[in-house]
Amino acid sequence: MLGRIGRWIDERAHLSELWQSQMVDYKVPKNLTFPYAFGIMALVAFAIQVISGIFLTMYYQPNVHTAFDSANYTIMKEVPFMWLVRHVHAAGANFFLAVVYLHIFTGIYYNAYKKPRELTWIVGWVIYFVLLTTALTGYLLPWGQLSYWGMVVTAEIPTSIDSAPIIGKLKIGETISIWMKGGYEIGQITLGRFFGLHIWLLPLILLLLLSIHLYLVRAAGISNPEGIEIDKKKEGVPFHPYMTLKEGAYVMGYLAVFFFFVFFHMSHFLPADNYDPADPFKTPAHIAPEWYLLAYYTIFRSIPDKFLGFVAFNLTLVLLLLLPFLDFSPLKSARRRPLFLIMFIVFVISSMVLTVLGTMPPTPTNALLGLIFTATLFAFFLSLPIISLIEWGWYKARGGEKK
Amino acid sequence: MIKTVFFTGITLIFFYIIWIHNIFAHREKYEMPAQYAKIADDVKSYAKEGKQLFEQNCQACHSVRYDAVYISSVQANPKLQTLQEKYGKVLPRDVYEAVFYEDLMALKQSFGKVPPDLSTIYLVKGKEYLFNFTLEPQKVLPGTSMPAVMTGRPEETAKIIAYLKSVAEPSPEEKNKRMLMGVGTIAYLIVMGVLLWLWRGRILRKMGLH
Repeated sequence: MLGRIGRWIDERAHLSELWQSQMVDYKVPKNLTFPYAFGIMALVAFAIQVISGIFLTMYYQPNVHTAFDSANYTIMKEVPFMWLVRHVHAAGANFFLAVVYLHIFTGIYYNAYKKPRELTWIVGWVIYFVLLTTALTGYLLPWGQLSYWGMVVTAEIPTSIDSAPIIGKLKIGETISIWMKGGYEIGQITLGRFFGLHIWLLPLILLLLLSIHLYLVRAAGISNPEGIEIDKKKEGVPFHPYMTLKEGAYVMGYLAVFFFFVFFHMSHFLPADNYDPADPFKTPAHIAPEWYLLAYYTIFRSIPDKFLGFVAFNLTLVLLLLLPFLDFSPLKSARRRPLFLIMFIVFVISSMVLTVLGTMPPTPTNALLGLIFTATLFAFFLSLPIISLIEWGWYKARGGEKK
Repeated sequence: MIKTVFFTGITLIFFYIIWIHNIFAHREKYEMPAQYAKIADDVKSYAKEGKQLFEQNCQACHSVRYDAVYISSVQANPKLQTLQEKYGKVLPRDVYEAVFYEDLMALKQSFGKVPPDLSTIYLVKGKEYLFNFTLEPQKVLPGTSMPAVMTGRPEETAKIIAYLKSVAEPSPEEKNKRMLMGVGTIAYLIVMGVLLWLWRGRILRKMGLH
């Protein structure tokens, strides 16, 4: 019976043809490494966020008086199993960003941003930016002390434009800050607009961008760890079942780690300080953004001039966007580019150190360390054109396409 | 090979530091004698007694709204019951603060601020801080308006902490259930992952792709 229904639908929708052409006849390189699975893990993480988020919206109340209680009493105590949904959503947000970071670093390592994949990289960058906004807006919703004060600090950051020499007079920063908050202080209007952005507008934008990103991955083909474009008809393996089952097994492992945190280690994802209801008259001792923003925060904080700090951390984002154009070397993949590998290691270590520095109190030593690692972070981006020129030399000396 | 080990290593170290145990972050540590820590942790035996002690010593100023325990003057107010019939035992915060505004303001006049609700305080501060602070408020937080009600009564303080823990955290039975659920879920995912891997091996051998 089920088979007959299936055939009836298939005759009309041609789903099996679609499956055959898009999953089986679609060939990918055989030598894809483990880090290539971060993409599918990010997709799974997105699905988890959407599903758990739908259930959370059913009980959450976007109201300054009741938001905290709806999160910590209704959801955590009153409704059966909603604690699990909240744990999944809170841990899921962190895992999503972690996996996206790993995906970005993998892309940089294998030079997946190079021709013909520049557009995939650019759309991916926009996804990353929207994702950060989604995380930021969602963080305010539980209306705890960390949510509230974290947003107070974040909304202050644009005002540093106003300390610039000439454009500061225009008070653009203050305007942006007021526009973010919906007024001079964080209150009901802020919560309302953040709730709206977080639950439907930003996720919809994410979904759209995600589809474009996936389409572009298909259109340009998956990159190769060796940095050589393969002849897919000869060397490729069918995406299904070769890749689907391999990545399926990896996703199971990923979910096992994820659920370990969900059930046994939530103290980072639902931090103790956020069980304190938001109080505008009580400033907590240590305010720092969430870990995924800490590297930018440290860059901002270590540079003595406020405006320059603002420029520097935005420049990091812009340089990340311009990566395909900074790196114009004919060679691909860190496996074949020793100079690039060295600078990549410098880049990874500096971004990790900057993140960890963000969790530490702002002493002069830490500020100096922050400056040093900001410099090494920028050194990675600035070294790319130089490395590219050197590699063009090697490439020409070896006579072009030949290895 | 060495690159794989290196990148996996630093990634794991990085996430260990920021997600599990940050060795660089500064944290204030408070000590608590082991015998009292044991009482505070034993929700099953002491939470009930702790609630009575809370009513005698703390309820004049502090509420525990998630357990439907309100400050004494509110508890004596007949309005409370009418409201509870309408809104449920745990009143919405805005209703509670609006209806009993005068009671809360009376406390604010004597203490400078409305004493906080203690529903989630256990999760925020932890038992060690609560123990030290309740016994000697001025020593832990100089200038606080919290009176030294419990000074010299460490055992009773520990029992009150056990009560606050019972309100903030899931009950021991519930915790056991959650642990079983967690172990079950993780075991299921690992088994499925392994099975998927083995099945893939068989299919690939059939297809000659192995």
